[in-house]
Amino acid sequence: MPAITLLATLSPPCNARTWSSTPHPHLPIIATACSDKTVRIYSLQNFQQQSTISGGHKRSIRSCAWKPNSRGESVLATGSFDASAGIWRRWEEGGGNGQDAEIDFTGGLSGGGEKDEDDDDEWRFAVILDGHDSEIKCVTFAPTAPLLATCSRDKSVWIWEELEDDNFETVAVLNEHEGDVKCVAWHPSEQLLASASYDDNIRLWGEDVDDWACCALLTGHEGTVWCVEFEDANNIYALGSSENLTSEQQAYVQVRLKAGPRLISCSDDMTIRIWRRVPKDKPELPAGQIKTPSIWKNRDFEEEWIEECRLPQVHERPIYTVNWSKKTGKVVSTGSDGKIVVYEERWKSSKISNGDADGDVVMAGGTPAPDMEDLTAKKVHGSEGHMGGLTEWVAVAEVENAHDVFEVNHVVWAPRADKDKRTEDEEVIVSTGDDGEVNVWTLDT
Amino acid sequence: APAYPTLLAAPSSPPEAQSDISSDSEEEEDREEIDEQEVYDLISTISDPEHPLSLGSLGVVTLDDIKILTPTSPRSRISTVTVLITPTTSACSLTTVIGLGVKVRLVNALPPRFRVDVRIKEGTSKTADEVNKQLGDKERVAAAMENKSLVSVVNNMLATCE
Repeated sequence: MPAITLLATLSPPCNARTWSSTPHPHLPIIATACSDKTVRIYSLQNFQQQSTISGGHKRSIRSCAWKPNSRGESVLATGSFDASAGIWRRWEEGGGNGQDAEIDFTGGLSGGGEKDEDDDDEWRFAVILDGHDSEIKCVTFAPTAPLLATCSRDKSVWIWEELEDDNFETVAVLNEHEGDVKCVAWHPSEQLLASASYDDNIRLWGEDVDDWACCALLTGHEGTVWCVEFEDANNIYALGSSENLTSEQQAYVQVRLKAGPRLISCSDDMTIRIWRRVPKDKPELPAGQIKTPSIWKNRDFEEEWIEECRLPQVHERPIYTVNWSKKTGKVVSTGSDGKIVVYEERWKSSKISNGDADGDVVMAGGTPAPDMEDLTAKKVHGSEGHMGGLTEWVAVAEVENAHDVFEVNHVVWAPRADKDKRTEDEEVIVSTGDDGEVNVWTLDT
Repeated sequence: APAYPTLLAAPSSPPEAQSDISSDSEEEEDREEIDEQEVYDLISTISDPEHPLSLGSLGVVTLDDIKILTPTSPRSRISTVTVLITPTTSACSLTTVIGLGVKVRLVNALPPRFRVDVRIKEGTSKTADEVNKQLGDKERVAAAMENKSLVSVVNNMLATCE
């Protein structure tokens, strides 16, 4: 059975609760949002603090997001309990060279930290985004367009468009949730946004003609939904080679490819659920056809998503974060019980699943993906115990007390960047807890 | 560091909070150390935000409505304290503040291995579900404790402790 092993604790730790950590899109650094109103930028090469961002927010910074594809300059968005979002910029050393960019440790052996004023000065405050009425819980940049999404206890989701540098315009204020919006996440290849709420629901938002609107409501969780995330567009390959599949398995692969990336969610109800879009069987319109009447457009706009399956239930307290590896398709989760758990999706063998051939411990409690009959029936929720599921999720590794006895608020996969990295693609798990520490873990098989 | 900042002088923590928890045997003893009576003593002296009376004397908190659950597995070190509160009023906002005071008092006074669940006793308030959800929401409680006016209300309630 694989083991989750502590590799390092980032230094120095924060002396108050840390909320979440976000890896840079191409540099070996990670930004940690802290309740002391700062963001700490740590190196994943030597595990030392590289710089801090402070002075911009009056309360906890809850969430950070890196702007994707911003070579030469790093752009960080911060979301705070003070109801505002900030945009910060910093030139990258050797900008444009991506991985080759060397981080300048001017602090050297003095240990970095607050003395590194030169480093700190390099973060330039660009703009503050005001509009939310209360605490911002999450900020995230779209991968496909110059859009930033923010969400708040004020029950709204805002979408901002960056027109030119530092000029952000509100393009949508989405008000349909009936409680705090805890998390927002973009689809990797479409302009589709998911939001998770205190009202126990998940909503999906898209652009209908010119206006952003809700295109799907995903119900089922029986508690606050803390986190949602889409899988990588290529995650189907996590199931391995397409050779030697049964016809049923090939049909399932086709359904998955047609549906596109799935969505994962975790909740106060201690469940982790995977949701899949039901592809529409719409005939291709012949070229040059007259504009479709708007009533049809509206119908086309709405999407149907079903709960495909639930992961094995390992957590004993609310689950705060679930994160999907873009490299391996593995899922990692954490929460109030202080555990970190890694799950893997596999083809279900035709044998009974207890006592797996690999000798792994199979944690009970998950529900299998629906069988092919369900897939064609299009309406059945995977939670009703369909024993013919084609894939299954297995908890493959677990560590308890990951942050001593404290709650763990966040967990995320990041590329491994230290000198002992074992393979080109190796990932680490970065966890963030109430003890103010940020821990880096390896998954050892 | 306490999970929630308060303007009070640090409450005198039980001895184990200061000791370095290092060995299992020590941990075993620690688990014995805190019982329902001690939890009651920590919260019964909290003042009601409306009356000059303590939550204990008003019957808002009672010994019978405090439960301590020991760790669920031998490897886990997490214990859970559940406190059911009986509101004297049906006003929701005040009930939430009382619950917040109880939660903050226990989170700051108990060792961090305790998870503190504060709920409204069943059948005593129409808004119980709403209040329970708020008190159970870590993010909301944390944000509330960054709100100066709420912190000052809570600190006034806790000023009579000890």
